[in-house]
Amino acid sequence: MYDAPKLGANVEQKELKIAARGVQVFYGETHAIKDVDIDIQAKTVTAFIGPSGCGKSTFLRCLNRMNDTIDICRVEGDITLDGEDIYDKRVDPVQLRAKVGMVFQKPNPFPKSIYDNVAYGPRIHGLSRNKAELDEIVEKALRRGAIWNEVKDRLHEPGTGLSGGQQQRLCIARAVATEPEVLLMDEPCSALDPIATAQVEELIDELRTRYSVVIVTHSMQQAARVSQRTAFFHLGNLVEYDDTATIFTNPRDERTESYITGRIG
Amino acid sequence: MSVGLVFLVVIAIAIVGFFIGRKRAVLSVDGDVRKLHSLPSYYGQTVFIFSAVPALLVTLAWLLLQPLYVENQVSAKILPGDIVEGSSLELVMADVRRISSGLDSLVASGNVDEDGLKLINAADTDVRALLGEVGVAVASDVQANVFTASMEYRAKTAMLKTAMAVVAVVLSLLGALIALSRIHPEYRARNVSELAIKSLLILSSMVAILTTVGIIFSLLFETSNFFRMYPAKDFFFNLTWNPQFTGGSDLGILPLLWGTLYVSFFALIFAVPIGLLVAIYLSEYASRRVRAIVKPAVEILAGIPTIVYGLFALITIGPMLRDYFAQPLGLGASSSSVLTAGVVMGIMLIPFVSSLSDDVINAVPQAMRDGSYGLGATQSETVRQVILPAALPGIVGAILLAASRAIGETMIVVMGAGAAAKLSLNPFEAMTTITVKIVSQLTGDTEFASPETLVAFALGLSLFVVTLGLNVLALYIVRKYREQYE
Repeated sequence: MYDAPKLGANVEQKELKIAARGVQVFYGETHAIKDVDIDIQAKTVTAFIGPSGCGKSTFLRCLNRMNDTIDICRVEGDITLDGEDIYDKRVDPVQLRAKVGMVFQKPNPFPKSIYDNVAYGPRIHGLSRNKAELDEIVEKALRRGAIWNEVKDRLHEPGTGLSGGQQQRLCIARAVATEPEVLLMDEPCSALDPIATAQVEELIDELRTRYSVVIVTHSMQQAARVSQRTAFFHLGNLVEYDDTATIFTNPRDERTESYITGRIG
Repeated sequence: MSVGLVFLVVIAIAIVGFFIGRKRAVLSVDGDVRKLHSLPSYYGQTVFIFSAVPALLVTLAWLLLQPLYVENQVSAKILPGDIVEGSSLELVMADVRRISSGLDSLVASGNVDEDGLKLINAADTDVRALLGEVGVAVASDVQANVFTASMEYRAKTAMLKTAMAVVAVVLSLLGALIALSRIHPEYRARNVSELAIKSLLILSSMVAILTTVGIIFSLLFETSNFFRMYPAKDFFFNLTWNPQFTGGSDLGILPLLWGTLYVSFFALIFAVPIGLLVAIYLSEYASRRVRAIVKPAVEILAGIPTIVYGLFALITIGPMLRDYFAQPLGLGASSSSVLTAGVVMGIMLIPFVSSLSDDVINAVPQAMRDGSYGLGATQSETVRQVILPAALPGIVGAILLAASRAIGETMIVVMGAGAAAKLSLNPFEAMTTITVKIVSQLTGDTEFASPETLVAFALGLSLFVVTLGLNVLALYIVRKYREQYE
């Protein structure tokens, strides 16, 4: 197989957020994720890279149990968040998803107003006692989503009327409004133009001060720009996981090297 | 030549033309079909179209216009004196047509030949008896003049029929020749074929539209007749429905309209929540296996004939509602009631609402669900706060379609709600609807001359306007909804 990832020196400095051990995922008969071990650190941007169909999105969706919504999907192994097994029977996946927020590939604002989009999470989780508090939460989330200045005068217009980049930042704001601890991003920039991508990347960098961010990306430049740690997946295996700088300058596995130099993928 | 034979000959010419055209196209490039603009059979198709379409269209037009022309010519022969007291030119002409076709059968039966026919003199031959032998009944003795007219009618018709056959065949041959002469490798035959298909599609949609227009006009015509006999103000505002075939009836639409809306209201009260919950269950909660069984099972309800629902209302729901609700509550003792019809109609409408809503809910993108689940919403929170609002316009469309179905329903109402036109708020009382009264005004031996029968058309038109309005509204909402995710 491959060498178990040796955790670099700076891992010890940061607190461990998510630990996965021996994770297997099956889609019906297909074995999509094969025996993945990974440690994700708090307040760090971790990038998952790899060719299409390598399982990186599938693995990401294991981290907040989004795969539960797919009937034929089966997950084995242990994943812990702050030391607690998230696949334990006592864990409510719905509560878990409030703690582990998710941003999707295509911006998916609800067909509601901008305000209602952001207030959606806080409302269902009862995070505010009154309208004023909710207003405050919405404003804070929109500011963190770096979109407040663009939408503050039209909070009650539909979120679907925004441009693609704005929609994606709205979705990020919507995700951070529930005060998650981890933010999962599944190719958040693949539907965006370069300018919007730059804005979102800048935002991801800011989010690192508060949250653990896990981002799946097809763009190696993006992984290099925004992440501190990078994991390379290939055919359902976690091939290599290390500091981003190490992965991109001095990969240990030849498959990683082939991928980042563009020979496979 | 009969019309059927003309048709067959034209088609035969067209088919032969098809093969010749295809062959000719292939020969024009010495067998190398790659050099042709279109595939060889497209060239054949152009010949087929040129040969068949004009000939058949002319035949069709001829068939429509020929009787008008012949009648116009022949009716000049009928003198005012030939029209018996109490009869009219139209009735005499109907006789002429009948006699002329009777003469045809007479010849066909072999009793009389063509020459013998010319010798018949109506004045001293009993034409009536003669025709009776071949099974053609004529009301009275045939007058000499009428007989001459019939003979002329017959002769003209036969002559024109032959002319039609000749024209059709010549046109067909001519079309085939023109199309054949146009075949050369650069000829864009597939474009011609494309145009023909497009015309066919347009024509088909025109048929549907023109039928609707035709229905509206026939209703409008009879309705205007009605309003000439009965004041529109009374029709729309009179609170009583009490037709008397002896005259002096009250024909107010309001009790019927109220009955219609009241029954539909109960039907929707019953059908919409259940249908919607079924749709939500099927689209969001049910596993694939359950869905595969439940969805068709629910849709079976839509296939039950409404008369069977009517029986169910009559023998089960009606007595049940009377015994357990109406009588204990002291609201009535009739098993026919608005509520009975409403409940049964509601059952009938469940698959309507559930099936359409299910489609609409499934059309909500998965991304919406993912977004909501990703924020930690439960399934029912997602349904209530994201999916239903997103699907709402489509669901409203489904409900309006169900409503127009409820408004037009007849059988369940006859058997469930009775036939008494009443303005009442008590849902346990028998009432009736517009459709039921249309049926009862038109059944039986009545002539279309009194306001009591003509009112049916005014009622029909009112119903049409209401359901059309609902359908337009539903289509508008559904269309607006579609744009949202494109």
